[in-house]
Amino acid sequence: MAQKIAGQVEETALIRAAQGGDPAAFEQLVRAYDQSVLRLAMNLLRSPEDAQDVYQDAFLRVYKNLDKFRFDCSFHTWLYRIVTNLCLDHMRKRKVRKEEPTIVATAEGPLDRMDAVPEERVDGDPQRFLFSGELRKRVKEVLAEMTPRERMVFELRHYQGLRLRRIGEILGTTEEAAKNCLFRATQKMRAALGDFV
Amino acid sequence: MSAENNCVAVKDSFALYLYGELSFDEEERVESHLDACAGCRKALERRREVQVALDNIAIEPAPSLLRSCREELHMRLAEERQPVARHGWWEQFTDMLTGRSGFGHSGWLKPAGALTLVALGFGIARMVPVGAFGIGGAAEMGVMASRVRYVEPASDGRVQIVLDETRQRIVSGPLDDQKIRVLLISAAKDPSDPGLRAETVGILNTSAQSSEVRDALVFALRHDLNAGVRFKAMEGLKPFAQQPEVRAAMTQVLLSDANPGLRQQAIDLLTKGLSRDSAPQGYDRQVIFAMQELMQRENNTYVRERCKTALESVKASTETY
Repeated sequence: MAQKIAGQVEETALIRAAQGGDPAAFEQLVRAYDQSVLRLAMNLLRSPEDAQDVYQDAFLRVYKNLDKFRFDCSFHTWLYRIVTNLCLDHMRKRKVRKEEPTIVATAEGPLDRMDAVPEERVDGDPQRFLFSGELRKRVKEVLAEMTPRERMVFELRHYQGLRLRRIGEILGTTEEAAKNCLFRATQKMRAALGDFV
Repeated sequence: MSAENNCVAVKDSFALYLYGELSFDEEERVESHLDACAGCRKALERRREVQVALDNIAIEPAPSLLRSCREELHMRLAEERQPVARHGWWEQFTDMLTGRSGFGHSGWLKPAGALTLVALGFGIARMVPVGAFGIGGAAEMGVMASRVRYVEPASDGRVQIVLDETRQRIVSGPLDDQKIRVLLISAAKDPSDPGLRAETVGILNTSAQSSEVRDALVFALRHDLNAGVRFKAMEGLKPFAQQPEVRAAMTQVLLSDANPGLRQQAIDLLTKGLSRDSAPQGYDRQVIFAMQELMQRENNTYVRERCKTALESVKASTETY
């Protein structure tokens, strides 16, 4: 707890220094969050180019609007509002274009996200079936079928580990609405993976 | 509610239960049902395994991508911080006329200044020869940047300053304008700035039907030191993967590019053009040799697998002939 408070105090000092025009403080703030921002954008958009665009736009917006940040929510929430809005815009545009790039840059070079798990022979073993190409294919399909908001809530809860209350704050909605959204997303996932669950 | 309906309702709650997002009462209801229902306990375990399997699908961005994001942001922030230099005679003159200089209170100068600018514009328009502001159909604007190379005190108390002056020009025009294209092809090879090369190659990709542009993309794919630029070049060359010079460049990537992602893309694109029904001939045969050679030395398991699958799909041996 004491460590958390110390961290918050340090972050507040960093934000104030960055608001005062200290470039090193701003860079430290970026470094504190940029990996998770890039991970979120990459997993949602599944395109290194789009993820890179979101990264740049998000931190430039933060830079230009930092003086407007009034500490009425956490910096993480404020930053994620910007990032999730940018990602939602990308996803909505993509829904209109009916495009769903799946190639992602990984430490091993660009891979199809759904091929990232090595293929294993199923051999009738239900345990192995969970890691099979069939599961990946179905997960890919259901992720593409989710609405951008459902996809966002699922990503924030499952992969970013954020609580629904925080997700509601980020997306400008209530915890209950975020919960309903997550419920719909998981129901779609369950329907698609019917044989597995 | 019947026992069967109870099971349905409880199973519906599993996801939120596993995320720890049920209210106290809802969680209580699920747990008391689980205590009494072996079928639902088993179903919950199965669901938990699927949740874990979903974790395996998450990806971590490559460190190189994060690095390139940070570099680009650093550059863009530096541009944002750069104050607009206004120290040339023209800027000082217009500042004075428009009240931006220390003469801010001299409001009377503004209307006079506006009249002067109109008159000047008229004069310049009459004096500057037609075409001086354009290359072909392209439009341009000029900005002068100066750098003090060295300073030397003179004997009479004055100072001699040697300036390096670079004239920056903004040029715009359609991609099919030959002069624009020449500039882009030259920028695609600029050794000092990988960001500029990547951006330029991305733009050139839209004109890859031109053989001149394709040559530039092939050059980038073969020689660029930056993997991001090579990826972009590969992207632009995808539709032309059947052309011999493109296939040759992709074969080189297959055998010698340091990036496994590019090697894997090269396999995919080269395999697309291979005949699955008849024995490979000519260049197809060389592609197969190259893939067989790759099988001998590829360290990346994923690329090896892709290569093996590709060879099998054209009924070629995964061993060297």
